[in-house]
Amino acid sequence: MACVYIPVQNSEEEVRVALDQLPRDASDILDILKAEQAPLDLWLIIAREYFKQGKIEQFRQILEEGSSPEIDEYYAEVRYERIAILNALGAYYTYLGKIETKNRKIETKHREKEEHFIMATQYYNKASRIDVHEPSTWVGKGQLLLAKGEVEQASSAFKIVLDADRDNVPALLGQACAEFNRGRFSDSLELYKRALQVYPDCPGAVRLGIGLCRYKLGQFEKARRAFQRALQLDPENVEALVALAIMDLHPNDASGIRNGMQKMQRAFEIYPYCAMALNYLANHFFFTGQHFLVEQLTETALAVTNHGPTKSHSYYNLARSYHSKGDYEKSGLYYMASVKEINKPHEFIFPYYGLGQVQLKLGDFRSALTNFEKVLEIYPDNCETLKSLGHIYVQLGQIEKGQEFMKKAAKIDARDAEAFTDLGELLISSDTSAALEAFKTARTLMKKGGQEVPIEVLNNIGVLHFEKEEFELAQQVFMEALGDGIWLTLLDNKVNIYDIDASASILQYKDMQLFRRLEEGGHSVELPWNKVTVLFNLARLLEQFNNTEAASILYRVILFKYPDYIDAYLRLAAISKARNNLQLSIELVNEALKVNGKYPTALSMLGDLELKNDDWVKAKETFRAASDATDGKDSYATLSLGNWNYYAALRNEKRAPKLEATHLEKAKELYTRVLIQHTSNLYAANGAGVVLAEKGHFDVSKDIFTQVQEAASGSVFVQMADVWINLAHVYFAQGNFALAVKMYQNCLRKFYHNTDAQILLYLARTHYEAEQWQECKKTLLRAIHLAPSNYTLRFDAGVAMQKFSASTLQKTKRTADEVRSTVAELENAVRVFSQLSAGSNLHLHGFDEKKINTHVEYCKHLLEAAKVHREAAEREEQQNRQRQEAARQVALAEEARRKAEEQKKYLLEKRKQEDEQKRVRQLEENFERVKEQWKSSTSASKRRERPENDEDEGGHSEKRRRKGGKRKKKDKSSRSRYETQEEEADMMDDQDELEDEDANMNYRETTHQMDDQDDAAGENAQDLLAAAGLEDSDAEDEMAAPSSAAVRRRQALSESDEDEQPNPIRDNTDSDGEVRDDNDKPDEDAGLDDD
Amino acid sequence: MKLAGLKSIENAHDESVWAATWVAATDSRPALLLTGSLDETVKLWRADELDLQRTNTGHCLGVVSVSAHPSGVIAASASLDSFVRVFDVDTNASIATLEAPPSEVWQMQFDPKGTTLAVAGGGSASVKLWDTATWKLIASLSIPRPEGSKPSDKSNSKKFVLSVAWSPDGRRLACGSMDGTISVFDVARAKFLHHLEGHSMPVRSLVYSPIDARVLFSASDDTHVHMYDAEGKSQVGAMSGHTSWVLSVDASPDGAAIATGSSDRTVRLWDLSMRAAVQTMSNHTDQVWGVSFRPMGGNGNRGGRLVSISDDKSISLYGYS
Repeated sequence: MACVYIPVQNSEEEVRVALDQLPRDASDILDILKAEQAPLDLWLIIAREYFKQGKIEQFRQILEEGSSPEIDEYYAEVRYERIAILNALGAYYTYLGKIETKNRKIETKHREKEEHFIMATQYYNKASRIDVHEPSTWVGKGQLLLAKGEVEQASSAFKIVLDADRDNVPALLGQACAEFNRGRFSDSLELYKRALQVYPDCPGAVRLGIGLCRYKLGQFEKARRAFQRALQLDPENVEALVALAIMDLHPNDASGIRNGMQKMQRAFEIYPYCAMALNYLANHFFFTGQHFLVEQLTETALAVTNHGPTKSHSYYNLARSYHSKGDYEKSGLYYMASVKEINKPHEFIFPYYGLGQVQLKLGDFRSALTNFEKVLEIYPDNCETLKSLGHIYVQLGQIEKGQEFMKKAAKIDARDAEAFTDLGELLISSDTSAALEAFKTARTLMKKGGQEVPIEVLNNIGVLHFEKEEFELAQQVFMEALGDGIWLTLLDNKVNIYDIDASASILQYKDMQLFRRLEEGGHSVELPWNKVTVLFNLARLLEQFNNTEAASILYRVILFKYPDYIDAYLRLAAISKARNNLQLSIELVNEALKVNGKYPTALSMLGDLELKNDDWVKAKETFRAASDATDGKDSYATLSLGNWNYYAALRNEKRAPKLEATHLEKAKELYTRVLIQHTSNLYAANGAGVVLAEKGHFDVSKDIFTQVQEAASGSVFVQMADVWINLAHVYFAQGNFALAVKMYQNCLRKFYHNTDAQILLYLARTHYEAEQWQECKKTLLRAIHLAPSNYTLRFDAGVAMQKFSASTLQKTKRTADEVRSTVAELENAVRVFSQLSAGSNLHLHGFDEKKINTHVEYCKHLLEAAKVHREAAEREEQQNRQRQEAARQVALAEEARRKAEEQKKYLLEKRKQEDEQKRVRQLEENFERVKEQWKSSTSASKRRERPENDEDEGGHSEKRRRKGGKRKKKDKSSRSRYETQEEEADMMDDQDELEDEDANMNYRETTHQMDDQDDAAGENAQDLLAAAGLEDSDAEDEMAAPSSAAVRRRQALSESDEDEQPNPIRDNTDSDGEVRDDNDKPDEDAGLDDD
Repeated sequence: MKLAGLKSIENAHDESVWAATWVAATDSRPALLLTGSLDETVKLWRADELDLQRTNTGHCLGVVSVSAHPSGVIAASASLDSFVRVFDVDTNASIATLEAPPSEVWQMQFDPKGTTLAVAGGGSASVKLWDTATWKLIASLSIPRPEGSKPSDKSNSKKFVLSVAWSPDGRRLACGSMDGTISVFDVARAKFLHHLEGHSMPVRSLVYSPIDARVLFSASDDTHVHMYDAEGKSQVGAMSGHTSWVLSVDASPDGAAIATGSSDRTVRLWDLSMRAAVQTMSNHTDQVWGVSFRPMGGNGNRGGRLVSISDDKSISLYGYS
């Protein structure tokens, strides 16, 4: 038992004080010490003893008493002891300043800490005043400075001591600590080592320092040994325990973590206020999900530490805990607090990342961006950060930058399927090919990794293939995504045997019996929700394959399981609309509207259907509703309304110019509105072009149409046949028939499989105007073949034939063949017209019977005339032939005479020669020969007379004609008739002009009449497109491709636009026709009267 | 089953070819092919070489339909001017000229026994039956007006009859109209039986299965081919795949397949057991207006043949096996 002996003053006696039995009240001891004037070192010993026993108050009391001015005076000579007491007090206050009890509030704590440091400083200064060179004072000061974080000054304080005594252990330790704090770990390690050499029995703390240094230097094994040694020396050395625990935790394996956590726990039990241990524990509990513990521990840690990084760590733990609980606001605050505690981001980057995440979550992209960028500075290859940054840039609209980051992330970790998925999602809207590649890579990676590829990824791949028109691939992928299920049974044609009452088949697309029967048949009709979208897309694909039957079954199975899936209703409606089953289509759309009465797409579709059903008022209301449902932002609805107004302007058969103007103006306004919202809306531009053309601004509208056409031809999704037609109309209106023809033909081939009778009609009309009658007729015959029940086409064909005949007869030079074909054509025309007039008795085709009869009469009349023409032509032909024959005869005779003369000449020559040779002897012979010659020459002369004869005959015949009374008269009459006919023909030519226009008029009128009929038929083909368009807009939601969605939406509009295209020129012609009509009527009548 | 292209004749006609049929083989010659065109001619071809045998003229406006008597001796051709010309196949001698104004003429078909010629009467909403011995009109099978409709009702014009088909036993006649309905008649009683519904667009071609008198195939502008139980009034199947109007359908003589021609320029072969297109021929460059299987029997027939004709003025011959 340790005792202290206090010498009693002025005697040999001593007071024995057992150190372990120090009185509770220090005043007792103090009284003794003072009374006996005990040496100061005794004071110190007793105070230290109190301290050791944890009796801090008594310790302080003794020391304060021991440093009081009286003592200073009394013990003025005892310098060292006084210094020691002061230093002890200084150290004590330093300690107080360093360690704070958890019960105190943060502000007060801070203030008290300052006060403690001030006190400590005061004591040390006092000690210094006693002896400036006392090393222990310097050491104390150094430690105080260290505690205050003024490392440089502390280091210089220690240096002063060490310069004097390089083996001063406390100074060595202090300096080591300072070096450590300055990050010079090897220096620090040297100092610790020296301290240990100088004083091998020094406390574990030294070994702890060595351990820490080694740890920092990366010498983990040596560090561990140092910590273990420290722990051996002092089993309750918390720091060593924590350090060891951290080292255990470090390798991140299960046993290590277990050991580490045990050590942490022990440390916690030994000393519950070690922030480090608390943080680690909290960290651990965070991972085990015990958030309550995390919060408690970290709050404690926060309360007990002042050390920035540790606090930051604690805040981080807390923030993380809240983050994982989804309390972004709070976690954001704590991350922020954590970040604030960090001087340099590279010391502790996690809170930045967390903060970035929270800010991203809370939509504060810019702040998140800066935080992530800080993280990226330190970890430039961190995939997660790169991905986050990529996302942020995309959100901020800097798509390219976003992609750059995503690509980098994908490149850095070429095995991170998620990165590729993200990249793909980013690229979807801008670069489908790249997106597809990214998704495919992701899929391959996942497959390689044995992971199941998420349905979403497969769906995206499928959709992208779909968009790239790689339909087969798309189908494969969709099937892969769907896997096994009822759809396989449904798609297998063998099961697909269903009997529907043909009269009930009108309900085919609403029929659900198939599935009930399947269920009854033991098949389970199941459809997991996450496969609905894929199934829907597959059905869309099947539609693309024109396998509408299978598609309809898939849509129906979706509806069977999920009756609220509006898009499936709309697709079914679109299918039946494409098949012209308007009734069913309307019913289906109404089903969709039952699910959601404000679904704009459904409303727009309904409006379209109503328009088709000629339900104008309803259609307008529906379009309005669609427009309202989207606050007028849905361009489709606005466009539909524009189209509605446009039709309305042209619809009235009895024109009201005012009304027409109003409607046109309104249409224009609506188109313009759409154009303002979406400057690149092709359909709105097209509509605007149409209105302009309607008003006669052909140049402007041509420009517009040309631009729209160019734009439309750039995309495979846009099928804008109307703009081609409109352009052709404009060319036509400007008289550029060749181009118009080309345009119409291209359009017909490109978009309609040559099946659109309406466009054929436009084409025929162009031929007609270009006076290409045969082409016109052929075109019309084709049109009739395509649309047999369209009698107006027959009428037009009749008109074309009539016009052809008239124009042929009008020609000054014509061959008999031409005239013959004219007659045949006229006969056809008569037949066509008479059939029509007979037919229109039976059916009401909207023909004016009188007009047809007029045509019949006129054609008959023309036919009469033509027959005469034909006769005349044939006669002329006959005469020509005769004349030719005669000419031939003459030529022959001439030839004969020439020959004869030649011979004669020859003979004469010969005779001369012979005369000279055998004048006498041959005289006789000569004579005979001459006789012979004469004979032949008479026959020659006879022949020569023949033409005369011919003329005679001609004259004779004329004579005969003149003579033959009755016959002559008849002939004459026929001739006069012929002449009058000739005149008539001239007159008729005039008439033809008029009649021509009249025909035009009729033609136009019929065109107009046809509109109503054709609207139904003509739109069918267009609706196919429309259906596709509409559907695409549906599908786009699934596809999550906003920009291409816009395109598709535009495509969806095509249907409405297509309706409008025929009009501009048709309308013009109508008005022309109308104007002329009035003028023509009387003329025509007059002409007929003449007849 | 498979189609193999054998031969194609480009510019077989000066204009679009609109109609084609096989003329059955007679004792003196093998089967011939008869085609009609917008160029107002009817041409007779010798298969498999597709040698032009003869060109018949005499029609005005385009030739829309040709049909051959089952005996192979006579044939009929009809044009847009609504005349039907009946002629001797081998001599081209005119036998009769038929018209039934104001009814126009679309598709025609001789009945399997060859006693009657059925002519689709267009806007008259009726099928005209002509006796092939006397060439007199023996009956006009009218499609009844829907109940409650007025005579002036526009919808009636939608019953415009485009196509006709005889059942293989000759007891039934089906006709297809512009509005997509198919009407079935009892020929013996000249009585309308019922409608077959399902199409809403023109039905341009009909054919009965040669092996099952109940089964009727229809081709419509709605891009579908339907399969009906014509007696039971029920639709038993729908085949989709064409991207545009289906203009023509014919059943193979073995009854296992049908072929279709479409505005999408293709000829498709459908396996009836799978109810799916097994082959698509895309050798034509314009709408395929007609497809026709050569009937079985006769001498010199080497395997099945299918012919297709098109707006591109060409004729294509395929081997069917």
